[in-house]
Amino acid sequence: MSAKIDFDEINRIIMLLEEKNLAQFELEVEGFKIKIARNAPASAAPILGPSSTPAPRPADPAPAAAAASESPKAADLQYVTSPMVGTFYRAPAPNAPAFVEVGDPVHKKQTLCIIEAMKLMNEIECDFDGIVKEILVENGKPVEYGQRLFSIVPQP
Amino acid sequence: MFSKILIANRGEIALRILRAAKELGIRTVAVFSESDRTSLHTLLADEKFCIGPARAMDSYRNIANILTVAELTKADAIHPGYGFLAENARFAEICENAGVTFIGPPPSIIRLMGDKNRARQEMIRAKLPVIPGSDKILEEIGEAKAAAQKIGFPVIIKAAAGGGGKGMRICRTLQHLEEQFPIARNEAKSAFGDPSVYLEKYLSGAHHIEIQVVVDKKGTVIVFGERDCSVQRKYQKLVEESPSPFVDERLRKRMMGAVEDAVRAIGYQNVGTFEFLVDENKKFYFMEVNTRIQVEHPITESVYGINLVKTQIRAAAGEKVTFPFELQMRGHAIECRINAEDPTTFVPSPGRIDFLVLPGGEGIRVDSAAYGGWQIPPDYDSLIAKIIAYAPNRQLAIKKMQTALEMTTIVGVKTNIPLHLTILANSDFQSGAYTTQLMEKLLPPNGAPK
Repeated sequence: MSAKIDFDEINRIIMLLEEKNLAQFELEVEGFKIKIARNAPASAAPILGPSSTPAPRPADPAPAAAAASESPKAADLQYVTSPMVGTFYRAPAPNAPAFVEVGDPVHKKQTLCIIEAMKLMNEIECDFDGIVKEILVENGKPVEYGQRLFSIVPQP
Repeated sequence: MFSKILIANRGEIALRILRAAKELGIRTVAVFSESDRTSLHTLLADEKFCIGPARAMDSYRNIANILTVAELTKADAIHPGYGFLAENARFAEICENAGVTFIGPPPSIIRLMGDKNRARQEMIRAKLPVIPGSDKILEEIGEAKAAAQKIGFPVIIKAAAGGGGKGMRICRTLQHLEEQFPIARNEAKSAFGDPSVYLEKYLSGAHHIEIQVVVDKKGTVIVFGERDCSVQRKYQKLVEESPSPFVDERLRKRMMGAVEDAVRAIGYQNVGTFEFLVDENKKFYFMEVNTRIQVEHPITESVYGINLVKTQIRAAAGEKVTFPFELQMRGHAIECRINAEDPTTFVPSPGRIDFLVLPGGEGIRVDSAAYGGWQIPPDYDSLIAKIIAYAPNRQLAIKKMQTALEMTTIVGVKTNIPLHLTILANSDFQSGAYTTQLMEKLLPPNGAPK
């Protein structure tokens, strides 16, 4: 419990990343480790902007074939679950925009949220490409191990 | 007093703690693994949190997740039960640093008693008789041989970081010791991450007698009369009783007095159990201290008419421990540990309990988290129920236990109830003239009764 870091400091590191146009920051001291990664600058804008209409879904697989009654089918949905107990945060800092919004396309390795546990901020990444269908937890709420955080329609 | 307790355990002991907390008006937080979603402790607590997958290392031993739950739920204390994190000094320390009360002894005591060799040396200083043995950790075979010759065979190699019967090897000859010594060190290293071993004289045909203590933060020391846990198979207790049929009033007073002195000398706190071997001449030797509530605590509760877990919580909260009556052992209590396992091969038998009838009636207590329809997860120990019989004397208590076991119906999984009935009917057990060798006599060497 030697090193401590708070939201403001994390925020400052994130600003620094933006400022210097760095992709990643990693710090490890005794008993403490933090890793902050930034999306590739090229794709940053469309992802962070809270778009009112879902981003284009060019890869929607054969919409005509899917029965009109249900699109997407429940079986097509994938869930991102919490790998730990902690507090769920949708954004890297209180006033920062959310990592993702409903309808956003997300790609593999993209950060979806932060789970705070033991004063550490743990980034939760998506492990496949897709489109965010639902955000299942309210910002700042506690989550359990294995709790569903996002439902995502996978994209090939 | 605490307002909310997190119970960092599962099964019958989690329920036992939950009941005690409810009786004290304390709210409860259950933590559970993915395979315990439908377990009773999860279903009955005021709040509940999933803390990890089935594997205990990732859930019930996951310090980060458990402490995060304590923080999120604003629990002011954590009860570790037994097993899992109960004797983890680091966990107790982290709780303390996080401002959550660990319901148990202070980390320094847990650490000291967890090192079986250091605990032994500490007890020698506290003038508690210990089993003759090596006075230090043995690094190489030469030292071990010298120590064994001084002690006299047979000897037992024990891991300093061990306890609970794990990592022990009995050696009857010098050659045997030469073979076993490196194996024991390797075993200790892989089981406990520490190859340190020491030697003790092996006492065969002794009695396993233990003394329960409770110490509050104001210095009140309460020492209870003994439990006899000599019915063991491979150091795993099966049947316990209180009082012991072997211990007389004089021996009891001597043991209780010696433990009280040791408790004061080392500054022990909260609940604990001092384990001894007692030889046929009624000489007693210290083995180890368990710095937690034990599985067999209910038999002490029965003969004293008290609630040890409530007492433990009150002591941890800083209250002075008092009882509205004079503490006195009355009557006789026996506990049988019902495991979901094959009664002849001892192979665990997890599965779904299709139908369940647990015994009851006057003098019968059942501590269990089992229910009809419950799927017993294969990931944890096989204890599914503790049946405790209490009667005015030993003979009546045995009869009551036999009746209770015969009226117990568990369909869907195998249990060791048939083995318990064999033990209870055994003439040595019936007469009370039995030692830790009883199970060896009852079972042929390969473990399966004929």
